[in-house]
Amino acid sequence: MEEEHIKYLIEIAGQDRVATDMEDKICFGYDSTRLEYMPDAIVKVSESQQISSILKLANEYKVPVTPRGAATGLSGGCLAVKGGILLVMLEMNRILNINTVDLQIEVEAGVVTIDVDREANKYGLFYPPDPGSLKISTIGGNIAENAGGLRGLKYGVTKDYVNTMEIVLPTGEIANVGTKTVKSVSGYNLVDLIVGSEGTLAVVTKATLGLLPAPPARASLLAAFASTIDAAKTVRDIVSEGVITATLEYIDNVTINAIEDYLKIGLERSMGAMLLIEVDGQKGAVDVEAEIVKKVCTKNNAIACKLAKSDAERDTLWSARRAALSSLARVRPSTILEDATVPRSKIVELVEAVNSIASKYSLMIGTFGHAGDGNLHPTILTDLRNKEEEIRVEKAIEEIFVEAIKLGGTLSGEHGIGLTKAKFLKLEISGDVYALMKRIKQAFDPNNILNPGKLFIE
Amino acid sequence: MVESIEKPRDKYKFEEKNSNKEKNVANMLISGRGDDLFTCSRCGTCLSICPVYRQTLDEGCAPRGKLSLIEAVANGKIPFTEKVSQRLYTCTMCNYCTKECPSGVKVDELFRAVRSDLVDSKKYPEILDLLKDRIKKAYNVTFDTNQGRLDWLKQIPDININEYVKDTAEVVYFVGCVSSFSPRSFVIPRAITQVLKGAGVDFTLLGEDEWCCGFPLLSSGMTAQAQFLAEHNIEMVRKKGAKILITSCPSCYHTWVHEYPDFKSDAGDGSGDGAGYSAGDFKIMHISQYLLELIKNKKIKLNSINTNRINVCQVNENRIDKNQKNIKVTYHDPCDLGRNSGIIDEPREVIKSIPGVDLLELQNKKLQSNCCGGGGNLESLNPQLAAKIAEAKASEIISTGAEILVSACQQCERTLSNALKKKKSQVDYKIKVMDISELVLESITSSVE
Repeated sequence: MEEEHIKYLIEIAGQDRVATDMEDKICFGYDSTRLEYMPDAIVKVSESQQISSILKLANEYKVPVTPRGAATGLSGGCLAVKGGILLVMLEMNRILNINTVDLQIEVEAGVVTIDVDREANKYGLFYPPDPGSLKISTIGGNIAENAGGLRGLKYGVTKDYVNTMEIVLPTGEIANVGTKTVKSVSGYNLVDLIVGSEGTLAVVTKATLGLLPAPPARASLLAAFASTIDAAKTVRDIVSEGVITATLEYIDNVTINAIEDYLKIGLERSMGAMLLIEVDGQKGAVDVEAEIVKKVCTKNNAIACKLAKSDAERDTLWSARRAALSSLARVRPSTILEDATVPRSKIVELVEAVNSIASKYSLMIGTFGHAGDGNLHPTILTDLRNKEEEIRVEKAIEEIFVEAIKLGGTLSGEHGIGLTKAKFLKLEISGDVYALMKRIKQAFDPNNILNPGKLFIE
Repeated sequence: MVESIEKPRDKYKFEEKNSNKEKNVANMLISGRGDDLFTCSRCGTCLSICPVYRQTLDEGCAPRGKLSLIEAVANGKIPFTEKVSQRLYTCTMCNYCTKECPSGVKVDELFRAVRSDLVDSKKYPEILDLLKDRIKKAYNVTFDTNQGRLDWLKQIPDININEYVKDTAEVVYFVGCVSSFSPRSFVIPRAITQVLKGAGVDFTLLGEDEWCCGFPLLSSGMTAQAQFLAEHNIEMVRKKGAKILITSCPSCYHTWVHEYPDFKSDAGDGSGDGAGYSAGDFKIMHISQYLLELIKNKKIKLNSINTNRINVCQVNENRIDKNQKNIKVTYHDPCDLGRNSGIIDEPREVIKSIPGVDLLELQNKKLQSNCCGGGGNLESLNPQLAAKIAEAKASEIISTGAEILVSACQQCERTLSNALKKKKSQVDYKIKVMDISELVLESITSSVE
């Protein structure tokens, strides 16, 4: 970037909204992958018009632009890998309106995910997508990565809740896409194309999100299993019995032991795995579903199955799951959280594959996650300062991906391809589709200025 | 950039000589702390709770950002710059980040160590020199001489100082600088001494012999400069032959319990269990703990609080439920008392012991209590930012619907009183801010109607 460009940026956004100091570049050069790429300039934007002007400038001079929310992504989506301008979206954080008849909320891209849900809660509604980082992640980031969460099985993911968006195209046009109606077949479904496009097609500035009535009742169960396989079978059987649970979380033995080391809450260390299951809906229906879930657990040799009788008991049951990642993170200095995902029917095979990969490469892998939707998080506990171990980690990750694809799965359930999985993308999609995706990118962004270096290996 | 409300202030002292101190930080990588730097996974959990980040949305001021700056210095990527220094001091030291960090990074220890390096390399806010000089000359944080330590007491008509400052006593009450010198906090030591007297406690004050506990210096990284204060204060309390030392200031408490044992001069083995000074023969208690003991031992009798007398909640008759008899109280956990010293239940038990009081909890309470903004010298360095943090806390307080905010820290009470005043258009009644000792005194002296 040239001096001249910085001057333009200052003209557009204001002196105190543009930073080029080394200290700022460092702090805006990472995300939760812990990789580091420093931008040349950081711009804190506050309105769509500014973004439009910046993109026009960048497009003219072919300067890379990377949009950034809270930088909690796990695939490097907001890293300025080619330098250039980092668009910080955090100050565009207004909740614009809520419509309790159409069940929609309109927000700016920098609004924090949990704040959308909190606003909805005031009207007896809720916003279902609940990624792990929801307390700080932004809606813009969630849309870019098509963020998921614990409730995916029953309630889907971010893409299922984005109705309309205001976007800024890489060439600078401000456009509105989508519809607020339940049904619409007017032209291509650009909303679904842009959701999950990892900030490579457009900068999302506003969105109208769908909401649902908050379920009046819920029931939580914790089931313990001696064998991982029984736990995984239970996951399949619950759905086969016709129950779509709100959450169906799996926690393996490595993770159980890490949690027990950290929290000391009396978990049985020899347990092969445990499942944390929640059903929600109308009161009577919830009781019936909870009963079915219990039966399935028992049939699959659960050594214990506990139904929470109060909110306090529910909190206790959930405390283990909530602490899963923290507990694993404390075991070794580096924690690599993967999210290879398979069809629910292949959960058993995925669990077995991860376990054998862990022993093959002598690695410690704790697996927990959203088993109900086939989205597990094999979490590699390691020390990336040890180069020899790092090589084993890389090999293991690649093998997990290969196995997941073999099982009819996908590289990433909810974290995105971004930087870290770009080299594996062709494992999953064919050359023709890869080429088609590149043509779509080209159509949106002829000069490849928006979030370059992601998705595709150039 | 990005810090519209926290621009570097002129008060920053900065010597642009190339100090060797950067190497000291680099050494941390070898000497053990480097693990902590490396362990931060940049997950961003700290962003959602850091009071400074939540008000500035500036990554550079978030714990995650500060750690990345320290790591950059340690790796030789950048030197200690003014901006790095400014970032490191833009912190209330509420320590919420350390407690919530999923990877268990000891953020507080790292920041303290780096601040200490910044002090050694003379790259710290100039205002800290002023503070250091004041404490060195007058043994307190104000511009007054230490002879004014008992002004809050002497101003009371017909007071007999000898009843308050004795040669020996079972209990020493360590008043703290702010309560001793800041007139708006005088109510706290006055309430405490009145309660102690009423309960027949054999207590004494240290008067001029009470020196600053050293907390402001310790939290700024000036550990060496606090040594003489610790030695003096310990000696003075020993002289009184006291069995118990009471503090009303949570930071004094924290310093006595967690910092003084680390001063090795005449200290013992540092094996304190957190309940008292390890090298001494006296136990250290916060006033909330001591009040609870007095209540349990029936040394004081609590009555329903006469709300008319303390002018609470009478502004808008309509909002008050006609059948409401109980008074609604919420409690703010001061960071150094709750999160950093684990004193969480005692103040609540004291409040609940008072007849006719409903304790309404804040949304973020106990170990998750949000800071009032008044911690870590931030108020001196960046008053606008401290005020913004306090206003966010005030909104949380207002949403409880409480009529009285009780805390157990003179600093929290001051910052929150100011913030609540600014927000008074948002509530149709006045929220009374009281120290826990004031509330207890009101309860003792309220006559049952």
